Amino acid sequence: MKFLRAFLSTLAGMPKVAVGAVAIFLFLGIFAPWLTPHDPNAQDLLQANQDMSISHWLGTDHLGRDTLSRLIAAARTSVVGMSLVLILALSVGVTIGTIAGYRRGWVEEGLMRIVDVGLAMPSLIVALAVIGIFGTGYWNMILALALAWWPGSARISRAVAVNVMNRPHIESLRVLGASPLRIYFKHLLPTTLGAVLVYATADAGAVALAIATLSFLGLGIQPPTPEWGQMLVDALPYLEASPRQVILPGLALTAVVIGFNLLGEAVALNRVPTPLSAKILRKRQLTAALWTREAA
Amino acid sequence: MPADTALLKVENLVTRFKSVERGKWVKAVDGVSIHLNPGEIVGLVGESGCGKSTLGRSIVGLEKPQSGRVLLDGVDLGTLSGRKLRETRRAIQYVFQDPYASLNDRQTIGEAITEALIIHGVSDHTEQRRRILELLDQVGLPAVLAERYPRELSGGQRQRVAIARSLAVEPRVLICDEPVSALDLSIRAQVMNLFLTLQKELGVACLFIAHDLALVRQAASRVYVMYLGKVIEGGGSLDVYARPGHPYTSALLASVPSADPRIEALREAPVLKGDVPSPTNPPSGCRFRTRCPQAMEICAVNEPATVALSSDHSAACVIAEQVHRGEVIAPKVH
Amino acid sequence: MSTSSPILTVRDLCIDLFTARSALRPVDQVSYSVAAGETLAIVGESGSGKTVLNFAPLGLMPLGVSIHVSGSIRFDDKELVGMNDEALRKLRGGSIGVIFQDPMSALNPARTIRRQIAEVAELHLSLTSTQAEARALDLLKMVRMSDPEARLRQYPHELSGGLRQRVMIAIAIAAEPKLLIADEPTTALDVTVQAQIISLLKDLQKRLNMAMVLITHDMGVVAGIASRLAVMYAGRVMEYGPVQTVLTAPRHPYTMGLIDAIPRAEDLPGSAFRGLPGMPPVLGPPIPGCAFVERCRHAVATCETTRPLLAPTADRHVLAACPIVNRSSEALHAG
Ligand SMILES: Nc1ncnc2c1ncn2[C@@H]1O[C@H](COP(=O)(O)OP(=O)(O)OP(=O)(O)O)[C@@H](O)[C@H]1O
Ligand SMILES: Nc1ncnc2c1ncn2[C@@H]1O[C@H](COP(=O)(O)OP(=O)(O)OP(=O)(O)O)[C@@H](O)[C@H]1O
Ligand code: SF4
Ligand code: SF4
Ligand SMILES: [Mg+2]
Ligand SMILES: [Mg+2]
Repeated sequence: MKFLRAFLSTLAGMPKVAVGAVAIFLFLGIFAPWLTPHDPNAQDLLQANQDMSISHWLGTDHLGRDTLSRLIAAARTSVVGMSLVLILALSVGVTIGTIAGYRRGWVEEGLMRIVDVGLAMPSLIVALAVIGIFGTGYWNMILALALAWWPGSARISRAVAVNVMNRPHIESLRVLGASPLRIYFKHLLPTTLGAVLVYATADAGAVALAIATLSFLGLGIQPPTPEWGQMLVDALPYLEASPRQVILPGLALTAVVIGFNLLGEAVALNRVPTPLSAKILRKRQLTAALWTREAA
Repeated sequence: MPADTALLKVENLVTRFKSVERGKWVKAVDGVSIHLNPGEIVGLVGESGCGKSTLGRSIVGLEKPQSGRVLLDGVDLGTLSGRKLRETRRAIQYVFQDPYASLNDRQTIGEAITEALIIHGVSDHTEQRRRILELLDQVGLPAVLAERYPRELSGGQRQRVAIARSLAVEPRVLICDEPVSALDLSIRAQVMNLFLTLQKELGVACLFIAHDLALVRQAASRVYVMYLGKVIEGGGSLDVYARPGHPYTSALLASVPSADPRIEALREAPVLKGDVPSPTNPPSGCRFRTRCPQAMEICAVNEPATVALSSDHSAACVIAEQVHRGEVIAPKVH
Repeated sequence: MSTSSPILTVRDLCIDLFTARSALRPVDQVSYSVAAGETLAIVGESGSGKTVLNFAPLGLMPLGVSIHVSGSIRFDDKELVGMNDEALRKLRGGSIGVIFQDPMSALNPARTIRRQIAEVAELHLSLTSTQAEARALDLLKMVRMSDPEARLRQYPHELSGGLRQRVMIAIAIAAEPKLLIADEPTTALDVTVQAQIISLLKDLQKRLNMAMVLITHDMGVVAGIASRLAVMYAGRVMEYGPVQTVLTAPRHPYTMGLIDAIPRAEDLPGSAFRGLPGMPPVLGPPIPGCAFVERCRHAVATCETTRPLLAPTADRHVLAACPIVNRSSEALHAG
């Protein structure tokens, strides 16, 4: 336990690991079609439940599909799903949040009441309820998750927007008589979006996890589309025979979630002032050492 | 000077904020009337938290007054709205206290001024260029600074940039909210002289909010003193400084520390004791009575009327005339 | 002037600041000392390194900057330069109290005044939480807060600037420090409240026999509270001596300009303000000659190249870093 904690805190100190995990994830997700050694959906029952081999590096599942290919293709499913959810949630959230932050007063009150209701309910429950009403399906899942996630980004956007609106530089624009549209589109929106995207990093992991969870429950991505949560379910009955089929998607998912969380945390912590890198520090120290030399 | 020819007139302005105590209000500005004549520098001083900034911000529309009127050239700004309001109110500009925050750190100085010019309807590029150089010159900055970012400038330079940008929209009134308190003495003098020059050369009127009484005395021809949301004294600065009519003003003047240690060594306990009452529940009658050395029973009953002490000097205190004549033993430094 | 041995002695302190953009030296060979019960005031141009000088050696620097400190700071027979973070943390808020430039950002907006004061008392006096809260009440009474019981339950944003500054002082003296460092404690306050705060600080100083370092722009505050004055410009001490002498008979051209810039009673309304022409230098590598040379009326050719060191003037108690003016005053005395 102690070891684990020490390990985790070292990880937090070195967001490089997180950057690595997230980068690999995004890379695999984006280039999946060119990276998979086999067709991830091609079944070959004669090759079912195979161990690692030259042709199947990570073996095959109970239907004889290549595990490595499925893992990679699942990354794509995850990246695409996650991006769609975040884009939808952020568009709605940032729009509502910045409007609330811009138009204080009853508009803000009203909008934030709605947001509060949304926030009071756990995201997954909201998503489950929406799927319960509209039925399962890819787009329903995306919609459900976006609905579950927008209040969070609305809340953050509003906080950022209120802060931005209160900064003297925006106030001085108002005094100059800048039109509301200029203030909103040229100053408020870009600044808020920048800040909110940073927070969204931490959320990305949670969304990926939610997609996997829904798929695990059979409510999200439907077979045969490869997806980590679903690969887990598929492999569960064969846990004893080939535990690898359960462990691998689980590991992939864990890495992505931890990666995004650490990254989000690191970014949030070091947002404005980034600590000096060892290289720059040495360079500066050298400069200063030369001053002393010259003076002597 | 009669208030009819006033360039800017504020009548009975009330601005309040929701208090942290449920259902209560902080009346930050509670029925203030002041005026500014063309090309005049007027000081506004008072306790921290008495509503000076709120008054200034209400005039330029950064806070929404609950009641009262702001008139520019006799036009009630409350009757205007939308674009018309923005264009009219543009003639009143605000200089913020913090020269570090009032510029967008992602715009160069040139871009910031250009934006103000565009807002003001100057869209021609060569004309923009010419105006930028002219404005930088007016505030005493070299033209090369147009390419720089705010973080590359010192506090005094930034404050000048902020002033140059407000001048881009050709204002007639500047409301300066402690514009030099973040600057040190030697740079402070430079910026103050800039205000004097703008007033003399461009005829810009200026409402000058400050804690530094000596600064106000030297810059302003008239001065208003506020306490807990109300103007309690106003008049020509020489007269107010020499013969204040309100016990708070006397206390304020007596509290100004002297830069001479020999005088400071003689200073007794602070003139004013106790804390400013909460603006949520101001005292009945005279708001200063909880701390006034001269407070009487009647002060708790009625709000004191404003007493005219001379043609342009008045104070809101029942014994204003005695204080003005120096008959009340006002607290002294030594 | 106090003759007791100093509790804080700073010798040849240099602080180099390394940022992502550049390396600079905002504190360059600064020396001074403060005895128990005595107040040293530090004045000077903004950006001349007053805050860095006092807070960087205590480990209080913003993120994203690295520092290198050389020289010596002896406090209470301990050397602060090179001391580890843990020990520094114990000193801060313990035997060294600090008051920051901006009270609002130094207080936690989400905690009651009671918690914030009690926390410091718990940490440094090892009190239980009930004892600490009782101590919080005592401290608020000590800083002459009206209605202290009610104030304990309030949050920072509910207090006026003057009250907030009193809370900051209460926190700073919670552990009865031997040294109090106050960075512009009254800049945001009006003169009546300023007078109260200054008298409070003086009173506390007498009671606790604290040494005090006070950073300010206001010469009136300096005259009212300090016994010694250090005038800084571009990271260097330009003049150092008893307040009385430095304020009334400044020796260094920069101090002269600074004191000349104070508005006087005889200045007419609308008359121009006196000040120094020009701008302070942008800090970077140590300046080879005198840092003030660009704005100095008395400058001669050697000022550009030779760095003037703090040296006793005709009045032995006052040190000034300007050989030119020093020489002429000596000449004056000789002649
Ligand atoms: N946005 C706000 N919400 C609630 N209360 C506010 C707000 N702004 C100001 N106040 C309160 O209104 C009162 C007047 O504040 P204001 O800032 O106008 O004072 P001031 O005279 O400018 O003080 P200072 O000299 O310290 O700048 C104060 O009691 C303050 O706490
Ligand atoms: N975080 C930082 N990053 C880069 N430079 C810094 C930082 N903090 C301070 N400096 C630089 O160090 C120098 C000294 O700053 P310092 O804050 O000590 O000045 P000061 O004398 O306290 O000024 P003021 O009177 O305005 O408070 C300045 O030139 C400043 O630019
Ligand atoms: S009215 Fe009364 S309490 Fe108010 S200032 Fe005058 S004497 Fe003092
Ligand atoms: S050393 Fe030279 S430049 Fe510096 S203050 Fe003295 S005369 Fe002026
Ligand atoms: Mg204010
Ligand atoms: Mg400072």
